[in-house]
Amino acid sequence: MSYEVSESVEEGVQLVTVGGVTVPLGLTQAPWPDPHMDIDSYDPDADLMALNMGPQHPSTHGVLRVKLFLDGEVCVKAVPYLGYLHRGVEKLCEKLTYAQLTPIVDKNDYVSPMMNELAINMAIEKLIGAEVPPRAQYIRTICAEIQRVASHLLWLGTFGLDMGGAIGGGASIFMHTFREREMILDLFEELTGCRFHYNTHTPGGNRHDIPAGWDAKVRHVMDHISQRVEEYEDFVRDNPVFRARTVGVGVVDPLLAIELGISGPILRASGVDHDLRRDDPYMAYGDIELSVPVQTAGDCMARYLVRLAEMKESMRIATTLLDGVPEGPICSLKPVKLPGAVKAKEGSTYCAIESPRGELGTYIVANTERREHAHPYRCKLRPPSMHALQLLPYLAPGNNISDIIVVLGSLDPIMGEVDR
Amino acid sequence: MAVDESQERFEHPLYQFMEKMPGVDIGLTTADRILTWGVSNSLWVFPMATSCCGIEFMAAACGRFDMDRIGTIARGTPRQCDVMVIAGTITVKMAPRVKKLWDQMPEPKWAIAMGSCAISGDFYRNIYSVVPGVDTFMPVDVYVPGCPPNPDHLLMGFRRLQEKIRAKRAGEWVEPDSRPPMGMQSPSVPRYGSDRDPVWDEAQLQSVIGMDKGGAMHREGLTLPEPPAPPEPPAPPEPETDAEQEAE
Amino acid sequence: MSLPGDFLVLCRDRLGIEEVSDEGPMVPREQLVAFATALKDELDFRFFVTVVSVHYPEVEAVPADEEKGTEAVPGKPDCTQVCYRVRRLPNAERKTVVVPFRVYVPTGETTPSLAGVWVGADWQEREQYDLVGTVFADHPDLRRIMMPEDWVGHPLRRDYAIETAHFPWR
Repeated sequence: MSYEVSESVEEGVQLVTVGGVTVPLGLTQAPWPDPHMDIDSYDPDADLMALNMGPQHPSTHGVLRVKLFLDGEVCVKAVPYLGYLHRGVEKLCEKLTYAQLTPIVDKNDYVSPMMNELAINMAIEKLIGAEVPPRAQYIRTICAEIQRVASHLLWLGTFGLDMGGAIGGGASIFMHTFREREMILDLFEELTGCRFHYNTHTPGGNRHDIPAGWDAKVRHVMDHISQRVEEYEDFVRDNPVFRARTVGVGVVDPLLAIELGISGPILRASGVDHDLRRDDPYMAYGDIELSVPVQTAGDCMARYLVRLAEMKESMRIATTLLDGVPEGPICSLKPVKLPGAVKAKEGSTYCAIESPRGELGTYIVANTERREHAHPYRCKLRPPSMHALQLLPYLAPGNNISDIIVVLGSLDPIMGEVDR
Repeated sequence: MAVDESQERFEHPLYQFMEKMPGVDIGLTTADRILTWGVSNSLWVFPMATSCCGIEFMAAACGRFDMDRIGTIARGTPRQCDVMVIAGTITVKMAPRVKKLWDQMPEPKWAIAMGSCAISGDFYRNIYSVVPGVDTFMPVDVYVPGCPPNPDHLLMGFRRLQEKIRAKRAGEWVEPDSRPPMGMQSPSVPRYGSDRDPVWDEAQLQSVIGMDKGGAMHREGLTLPEPPAPPEPPAPPEPETDAEQEAE
Repeated sequence: MSLPGDFLVLCRDRLGIEEVSDEGPMVPREQLVAFATALKDELDFRFFVTVVSVHYPEVEAVPADEEKGTEAVPGKPDCTQVCYRVRRLPNAERKTVVVPFRVYVPTGETTPSLAGVWVGADWQEREQYDLVGTVFADHPDLRRIMMPEDWVGHPLRRDYAIETAHFPWR
């Protein structure tokens, strides 16, 4: 390991290079708290209380149970329990055929379904060696970027709810962002027919083509949302309550984040410049210039700033790509009519994309048995939210309960993809 | 053993007194109607939002499909709520908690099963860890089908619940809701035989493939009715014969 | 995706494997932790991507049939293949790349846990233990994560029926 300390572009932030990756110096804080610490070994005189933040709670992250051990108001140890939404998707994928996987996997990260579809179909195409025509690549990329905007809008709304509560003022930003999200869902409804769970990607391309007049609507909506995002920034960024609750809260050590396998806005808010769309381009991302927002503070405010900047960047990418959508077919394979149409004889692939939560990967092993070529042998979906949730036992000790809720909100876990 | 007839009809001590008061029947039924109006128009909801339907529930609560205009506010604790909306898949691990929360709700309480995961388990119904429908362990009053249902449909479900509440409180008989019928199973084609040697129902298969040609009607050999002929254009106006004759 | 050169050199030096397939080198269990530590410290593969356990049920041996002229097909025992993937983050000199490596675990035996090398392996290995049944030795906290604590059986094994009944729901 080499330590080279240098100055970063921002004032006063020193950088250190560890393992070839440059991270801000002030954030690295080994040794990390031990999530498996025996609670009895904590101060025996302290009067500890075990509080269960049960699987059902008013925050909108889904069914996550966290057992908090509290010394007064301050948390000493947090143990998350998962599995309350375990639907056996991976087992179901083994029973179905490749052509039938898309609507099943759609429901994992239910806030940004286009990402799930993109991940699984890219993996299937890599396995069977199918090429995606350029028009489909552009459509897929545009849909992914618009979906990223919708996902971050939803995150912003629920983040406000987490901080303020439904009656306590958090609902204002919630109502505003959902109003914008409805406009995006209308766009998708025009393209695919559904507000949610589109089932529009298919191995080899897309099933729905861009209707006439859609690009004008997209431009209009993106323009409108850009203005509204400026309003949100004024709403929130200088709000002293927001600043008091997010600045300095939940600082994430970038080296810990890298080891845990966390990528996406959380990693970029801790100073690591890594984005799969730019570093390992897929689909149409190779044709555009992408600017990746990076913050060095690592706290909740930094994650908020990164997601907001990502929203603006995604809107810019979507409108730029719309200009240059090439003509041609939208699917390289024949439209799938029978479930057994897509077959893979052998091999295994791992394929990763950048979802709004980080690296969403799919690992598929093909079934080599003679009659089972149309079914995957094992299909594992790598959920970025699960790796992000692993941060909670490291971040919770030393914080109040209200800070833990804010931290959990800023990590943006979606239990559908954590539990699958 | 003779039946003690003195206990056969229970009368509240106040009944004798109230029977004699003038207008008490109208008064009590009007009071009941006011209470019904109050109950049905302020159904505070407890969202048991586990997965994707939870997002549509949140969208139904927001500005475009406003849930608050029917008096519904989402509360975080079951003790304050009238309606529990189960939105999302219920797994084996989660089901005891749902039952516990249902028991914690005070009477009168109703339940809406939102989304096909809550109604029947959707396509997860045969999976080891999924409960095939929430009505296996708790009573459901309204079923809102969809995956996920449009927020409009959820509001329709609330409307149906309001009608049921009003009818029941007025003393009418309310047919208990049952699971919505599954209807045509297309586009999944029923297979006979085993997974390894499937036997396709050729007719149904062709009807699915030929969906753009009318689907099931194509299978039956029916044709779509001819569209009605467009109306004849109005006749052009008669030329002015008098003026021409005068000119000649 | 082609594997990077320094990874292939490491495989050759540490494991003696000359040709590495796309699915990664098959690392013997005794050398797993040392190999992983070398990957992390020397080659900077610090980003833990995923660990996947794939269960291969027992395949019976087919004896040679002289009448039909077929040869004997050896049987395969019940085993699990644990596939790891780790990523190296990019910087000015290098691009990001994912490398795989595999471990072969016969059913009933344990494989060393890599939670001491990459912290992210903690929950992922717990999930693979829960769903497939691979036991990771020296894991700090190996218990079920997805299924209820008292569940019997490992659902993602190939011989586990998807409709397995669980009282009282079915």
